Amino acid sequence: MTLEWNALHPSDGNFRVRTLGLCSSIALGMALGLPHRKVIALDGDGSLLMNLCSLPTVARMKPKNLVHIVFDNEVYEASGSKKTATGCGTDLVGIARAAGIENSFWAESVDSFAKLVRDAVAGNAGTFIGAKVTAERVDVAPFPLDEVENKYRFIRHVEKTENIKVFSTALPASYV
Amino acid sequence: MSAESAAKTIVSGLKGAGISLIATLPDINLSQLLHEVEEDRDVIHVPLCREEEGIGICAGAYLVGKKCAAIMQNGGFFNSNNAIVSTLLQYQIPLLLLIYYAGDIGDRTFATSGSMTEPVLQALGIRYYIMRDPDDAPELIKRAQILTEDAKRPVALLLTKEVLGRRSVLKSL
Repeated sequence: MTLEWNALHPSDGNFRVRTLGLCSSIALGMALGLPHRKVIALDGDGSLLMNLCSLPTVARMKPKNLVHIVFDNEVYEASGSKKTATGCGTDLVGIARAAGIENSFWAESVDSFAKLVRDAVAGNAGTFIGAKVTAERVDVAPFPLDEVENKYRFIRHVEKTENIKVFSTALPASYV
Repeated sequence: MSAESAAKTIVSGLKGAGISLIATLPDINLSQLLHEVEEDRDVIHVPLCREEEGIGICAGAYLVGKKCAAIMQNGGFFNSNNAIVSTLLQYQIPLLLLIYYAGDIGDRTFATSGSMTEPVLQALGIRYYIMRDPDDAPELIKRAQILTEDAKRPVALLLTKEVLGRRSVLKSL
């Protein structure tokens, strides 16, 4: 999904997550750190299942600017397409709602997905959107950055668009 | 120093080092410290369900300009290892880890966790310092924050019962 999104919308504002499960948590940290910006997490069912406890934490922190989208294809597609628990009846939107995220919805169609996302991005409440998708890969280019370059570019993007300094001031050449 | 004063000293040390987001999960020995964090209006306090999500939250907040700390027991540090390796170390992201040293010398519980804490930190290449005297806490925190930012790797401060004001201070360890 990272690759597909980045092919459609290449931007230094895209941060690729490499720890399975951590997408929702990294996005929550961003949302808490920049409350006036919208943060969109593009998550998968296998990933969220590994970090279900991020949902009650999101519910507890109530970030108004976090849009958490889960594409649920019911398999660990990148790891050999074994079935996930959602392929055996687990309802991630039900779990999100029960965790305390009131605005939790299943997209029923492509049109309903587009509307849910548009409303969530325009609105002022944290939203959880689930979308059932088929397990298939489109042929897109690999992600062009390694993790460290991705980090630097993302931080430079934040520094530029927020007019803030993230990195500490470099010391002068002499030791202090 | 009482547990209350020790907790206040540590929190003011964290704020003095510029920390503005703190993710925590309780241990009985951290109660007073977490109480102070919770009461503080200047820091964003994120109570966790599992420590590993806290590594992600702190990484995300760092990427948008926050200085963060995560406070947990050493069991929680063990829980966090995949995120520490594949997010913090892989992306070179700094983070101040305040780890309660369960199973430290003289503890009646968690001797196994205690015996594995330093070896695991060493294996991950995480520099760590054992805090015993609450009076040293602000200066140690300040230095550790400089180190983590400069090295772009996590740095750990091991919180003993002494530094938390729950046992008399030992200076000979």
